[in-house]
Amino acid sequence: MLKIDHVSKQYRDTLAIDDLDFEVTPGVVTGFLGPNGSGKSTTMRIIMGLDRPTKGRATINGQSYHDLKAPLREVGALLDAKSVNPKRSARNHLRALAASNNIPFKRVDEVLEFVGIASVANKKVGGFSLGMSQRLGIAGALLGDPGVLLFDEPVNGLDPEGIRWIRDFFRSLAKEGRTVFVSSHLMSEMAVSADQIIVIGRGKFITSGSVDELTANATGTVLVRCESPDRLQAALTSASAIEVLNDGALSVSGITSRDIGEAAFAAGIALHELTPQRASLEEVFMDLTADAVEYGHHTPGAAS
Amino acid sequence: MNPTLWSAIRSEWIKFRTVRSTIIGVITLLVLTIGIGVLISLAIKSHFQHDGGIARIGFDPTATSLGGVLLAQFAVGTLGIIAMSTEYATGSIRTTLSAIPKRIRMLSAKGIVMFTSMLVVSEVAVFVAFEIGQAIYKPIGLSTTLSAPGVLRGVAMAGVYLALLALLGVGLGLIMRTTAASIIVYATLLLIVPIIINFLPSNWQNDITKFLPSELGQAMLAPTVPADHFSWGVSTLILLAYVAGVLVIGGALLERRDA
Repeated sequence: MLKIDHVSKQYRDTLAIDDLDFEVTPGVVTGFLGPNGSGKSTTMRIIMGLDRPTKGRATINGQSYHDLKAPLREVGALLDAKSVNPKRSARNHLRALAASNNIPFKRVDEVLEFVGIASVANKKVGGFSLGMSQRLGIAGALLGDPGVLLFDEPVNGLDPEGIRWIRDFFRSLAKEGRTVFVSSHLMSEMAVSADQIIVIGRGKFITSGSVDELTANATGTVLVRCESPDRLQAALTSASAIEVLNDGALSVSGITSRDIGEAAFAAGIALHELTPQRASLEEVFMDLTADAVEYGHHTPGAAS
Repeated sequence: MNPTLWSAIRSEWIKFRTVRSTIIGVITLLVLTIGIGVLISLAIKSHFQHDGGIARIGFDPTATSLGGVLLAQFAVGTLGIIAMSTEYATGSIRTTLSAIPKRIRMLSAKGIVMFTSMLVVSEVAVFVAFEIGQAIYKPIGLSTTLSAPGVLRGVAMAGVYLALLALLGVGLGLIMRTTAASIIVYATLLLIVPIIINFLPSNWQNDITKFLPSELGQAMLAPTVPADHFSWGVSTLILLAYVAGVLVIGGALLERRDA
């Protein structure tokens, strides 16, 4: 289990992390979602004991990373796939890691095989594609067969086949009872690969929950088609907003489909379609982090 | 079994021997120490064949055969520097510290690997350079042997000098974190500072010069310590203090800084 206990991180004049406080539980894939620059990588580095928090602490199974007896056997992390000396071969890189934590060398060959880069194990890492480097990073994370796994933007650089492989892989790790914490700035990726999601923006906690919970709380719209949209519009007095779409259908906000159906029945209007439009996680995310995008696009002319 | 300092040493040893720059550095160290030593010895031999007795007074066959050390000190220093600075240049320091979060343990392991391996290579280099040098001097009757007073110590300490400079490089690499900056500081200490001191009034020079790393090295390797130098023992201790000082500062920064 991973616990972030009121962690803040100040870099000179920027507050990268502002009082983050959450737990990551075993057995599920937990997504860590936020726009670029929102503090995800900083949080990961603080968990790994690489950066020192200004306030608070991060613990793994109750201990700070620095105090772990055999860190690679408890935590595996892929923070930056390029954090490797490019002049060293993949196998030697992993052997050096294995030796530092008394992990037998035969485990090196196992993980190389598992992530599918055994054939290039003796090649220098500098010649690896980003996807191959990611796989090497994953191999390094698995080396000590740890119960807690951290992955910072793992799908970057992977091809579609690799992305699918890694999603299934995360699920299987979680199913084995491990704690799996995966960051991404892509909500579409999190929607399919994570069970639980923690959303941050500008270093602040925004919300957390399952994908279903996050989308359910968002107010969706209802798509309505009927023979006389004008009459229905008049009948829907409790709706907060009604938008008339190009094909004459109505997009109704602030009222449930049940209430729309009953209002239509009372007014004697036959409905041809009544479809609740569930907000996608993407919309929810955009909504939640709209104020928290550090490097956003600004509409020309708009005040910013 | 929980990891120990020994695990960290094994890890650092694998890292040290699996990059080509180490091989190149070791070859450079051998070539410079032996090659330059041989060239100097040959030059001296040819000079003395034409020149009579007077120039031979005070001639030191040990120190001259070890003249290559003056160049080899840049090879060992660079090896020490890049062992540390490439960790920062490539970002692999984060992987390293994830595996060994006890940072001083990591630094100790790196230092032990660097010092031990450089000591072995340097000792081979200086003893080979010494023996070839003596073989060159022998026909003109200027050679000495390891059993002559102070000679064995002088040759052995030349290797220790080089190994300590490798450690100095590790410390500088840790403080500066970039290869270029570290090499500039290192070269300034060994080359530029002596030149600047040369411009000072001569009675100051005598007081300051003997503290310079390169002069400490000369005192360590000469069988008869030259004038205006500390004894070889004191010189060794002063150099050790420099190395320790740089490593302590580097270690404190390593503990404090974000990786």
